[in-house]
Amino acid sequence: MEVTLRRFDLSDVDAMMAWASDPEAAAYCRWEPYDSTEPLLAFIRDTVLPHPWFRAVCLAGDSRPVGAVSLAPTADACRGELEYVLARAHWGKGVATAATKRALTTVFGEVKGLERVETLVDVDNPASQRVLEKAGFRREGLLRRHY
Amino acid sequence: MDTITLRRFDLADADAMMSWASDPVVTAFTTSEPYESVEPLLAFIRDTVLPHPWFRAICLAGDGPVGEVSVTPTEDRCRAELGIMLARAHWGKGVATAALKRVLATVYANLDGVERVEALVDVDNAAARRALEKAGFQQEAVLRSYCVVKGLLRDMVIYSFISTDTLVE
Repeated sequence: MEVTLRRFDLSDVDAMMAWASDPEAAAYCRWEPYDSTEPLLAFIRDTVLPHPWFRAVCLAGDSRPVGAVSLAPTADACRGELEYVLARAHWGKGVATAATKRALTTVFGEVKGLERVETLVDVDNPASQRVLEKAGFRREGLLRRHY
Repeated sequence: MDTITLRRFDLADADAMMSWASDPVVTAFTTSEPYESVEPLLAFIRDTVLPHPWFRAICLAGDGPVGEVSVTPTEDRCRAELGIMLARAHWGKGVATAALKRVLATVYANLDGVERVEALVDVDNAAARRALEKAGFQQEAVLRSYCVVKGLLRDMVIYSFISTDTLVE
C-alpha cells in the first residue's frame, strides 16, 4: 500500500467531508463530526493551512485525500503529538499504517528539534493500536482516566 | 515525623520560599531556574500562586513553609498535574510523602471534575519517585526522550493517582 502526503488546500473540503462528517471515523477523535462544509472550510483556513505540520493522505497516483495526519506541537519543541483520521471506505487496507510510517520518516527531517513523536489511543481502539505498532511505535503504558 | 499541614501562600512567605526556590539542587530536575532575588519570586507568588486553583505551602508542626505543592488542571478538566518542591534541609525525613498523602486526601474534594492527578518525574529523581510510590501513586510508563531539561533530553516517568484509588494511611 503506497500513500503520499501533501499539504491541504481549501478545495479539499468536499473530499474531507467524507471523514469529517462521519461519526464512526470521528469516534475516537477529539473533535465532533461536521454537519456542513462551511465550518469545515473555516477549520481548513484557520487551523489546517497555518498548522506547523498537517498533511492530506492520498493513495499513490490519486490526488484526492482519503484522510489526514498531523503532528501537533506541545510545550516542548522536542516532542510532537501525532493524530490521524481516515475515511471509512479505506479502512482495513493498510492505508493508516502506510500513512503513519510515511509521516514518521518525514517529520523528523521537517520539524526542527523533534526527538519524540507520541500518540494517545483509546484503550478500546485496538485497530488504531495495531496500526501504530505496525508503523513502529512502541507502547509505553496505559494512562488511566486520561480524558 | 512532625505533622505537616498544607495552607495557602501569602506574599509574606516569599523569604521562606527563597530557601527552596533559590536552591539549584532543588530545581535541578525541574525546568525552573533557581531564583536569584526575592522580587521575581514575589511576582511569581502574586501572578501565579495566589490566583492558582490549588497551590499550597507545606508547613511543619505550625512553623513557616518548608516547601510547595500544586495541582494544576490541564486542558482536560478530568486531569490535573502535580508539582512539588521541598527545601533541602527537610529532605529524607518523609515530609514529601506526608505532604503528598495529604494532597491526595483533600484535592479531589476541592477540584471539581478532576478524576486523575498525574506527576511527571525525571527517571533519575529517585527521591521523588520513592515519595510518590509511598504516597500511593502508580507508575504507568517511562516516556522516552520526553523533554529537554537544562539542555539535556530526559526520560520522564509518569505516575498517577485516580479518584477511585485507595488512599494510603
